[in-house]
Amino acid sequence: MALEQPAQPTLGDRIYDKLFHNYLWRSIFRTGYPNTPRNQMLVVATNVFLHLHPTRIHRTHVKITHTYCLGGLTFFMFLGLTVTGILLMFYYVPSVDRAYLDIQNIQTNVQFGQLMRNMHRWMAHAMVILVFLHMLRVFYTGAYKPPREFNWVVGVVLLVLTFLLSFTGYLLPWDQLAFWAITVGTNIAGSAPVLGPKTKFWLLGGFEVGPDALIRFYTLHVIGLPLLAAIFMAVHFWRIRRDGGLARPL
Amino acid sequence: MAAVVVARPALRPTPRARDEEVLVWPDLVFVEFVSALLFTVALFFLSFAMNAPLLDEANANVTNDPAKAPWYLLNLQELLLHMNPALAGIIVPTVWLILLGAFPYFDQSTAGQGRWFADANSIRNTVVSFIVGFFGTLALILWNSGKVALWLKDWFGISGGGQLAFLERSAALKDPSVVPWPDWASSIPYLWFNLKILDEGPGAGVTTFQKIDLPTLLVDIGIPAGFMVGLTCLLVYALWRIGWVLSRRDALITLMSGFVGVFLMLTIIGTAFRGPGQDLIWPWDLRTLEGIPGQE
Ligand code: HEM
Repeated sequence: MALEQPAQPTLGDRIYDKLFHNYLWRSIFRTGYPNTPRNQMLVVATNVFLHLHPTRIHRTHVKITHTYCLGGLTFFMFLGLTVTGILLMFYYVPSVDRAYLDIQNIQTNVQFGQLMRNMHRWMAHAMVILVFLHMLRVFYTGAYKPPREFNWVVGVVLLVLTFLLSFTGYLLPWDQLAFWAITVGTNIAGSAPVLGPKTKFWLLGGFEVGPDALIRFYTLHVIGLPLLAAIFMAVHFWRIRRDGGLARPL
Repeated sequence: MAAVVVARPALRPTPRARDEEVLVWPDLVFVEFVSALLFTVALFFLSFAMNAPLLDEANANVTNDPAKAPWYLLNLQELLLHMNPALAGIIVPTVWLILLGAFPYFDQSTAGQGRWFADANSIRNTVVSFIVGFFGTLALILWNSGKVALWLKDWFGISGGGQLAFLERSAALKDPSVVPWPDWASSIPYLWFNLKILDEGPGAGVTTFQKIDLPTLLVDIGIPAGFMVGLTCLLVYALWRIGWVLSRRDALITLMSGFVGVFLMLTIIGTAFRGPGQDLIWPWDLRTLEGIPGQE
């Protein structure tokens, strides 16, 4: 095998150096563009955001047709939903008197408010679709097989959490669509044998959708479920590394 | 002396796993960055083109008809129309999620992992199971909504009527004029004491007998559960008989692909083909709510 040689700096590299190798920049990023294999591995291993990755992966796994990046995109939706969700939280108060007016206010008076709300909504739908497709990709590539059994189970939990996140968010606009969708949805939960009525009561904080349901759904939507999902995602990603990276033919 | 043949190791070094590897930076990071960018741009465009729905303020006194759950639950809502609510809304999804989680514990072989459709029959198993699930569900929905019977009557003048009404809808089996149920059949006591957790209904006293309504049990639970379990087993059995399902992996592929077909059909019907009163209608007849067809 040929020895790996550092590439000669090109004109682009030199301009880059001038622009980014000043004192301020280097205080933030200690190296310039990592243009040797050694530095490229270092940057992945030492950067807090990149170090979820291994430094090297198998050739077949960067092929877009292997994963279609579906898991990564699901996670990206989660991040995007967090950002747009935080922006919406600045304006939204989960009380029956204000919720609907706040949404109207976001759409009409807040700069980029309508855009933020649209992004949040469509990203939520995208996340549900993407997580489902990701599950199918994992299934049809046989990637749930040993030693990845448990990560598949973690995945099933994440699937349920994704649905719940979307479902709890559905009530928050407090319009007719939200109200009746959640009424129908929680009636389904209420029909469970033995535990149903209690579960429904516990979910809604009452016998029907009202102020208590709104505050419960809000709390679950903005903190409870995202926290749980984040924990399970951390386990999910960690397990991918522990299980030896993505599955490949033995 | 006979020449001694010394076995030599092949001169060609065995390829190292590392030669098959690429660096995460730049190869993978690039792919991730581009897909994130594409999605961001696409979602921005979508958000400029289409607003999130907002109807009138919530009002418990004005029923939305049809009242629909979010689209990814409409498959369950569709199931609810055909069977006992606890079966459709709770038991079916719970059992399915448990089965799903148990997949890797059922199929423990490591063969064929890490490649799309690695097993010999996997593609045709997938396609056939999907089609059976998809159109089988459609057929069952049309049948149980009485549509098939209606068309038979309209187009061919054939009418089941009377004793054969159950061929039009399974619910007709509850009707005493179709099946001569004895009186006791609709209230068979099974608990002679009051179990508090089962005793939720208003007016249920301490001495309430917990009763089974046999015709309802049969129609709302027995028949649908039988169909769901039976048809699934039948599909796997049939594919096994013709030699397509040879391993546990193949059986799971059949199960999963059939599920995707069923799930998709239920979701499509529930979203686009259910109008006021949850009647089957064409999507273009769906009442528009403030310019938003159906729900969104
Ligand atoms: C919020 C939800 C989820 C997120 C953010 C997520 C994220 C990821 C990511 C980033 C990967 C790396 C490979 C790829 O992108 O495909 C992955 C792999 C994996 N995921 Fe998920 N996932 C989620 C849900 C699920 C679900 C629902 C399942 C299955 C039921 C699942 C099972 C797996 C398995 C078994 C792997 C390893 C695949 C392999 O070795 O090829 N995940 N996940």
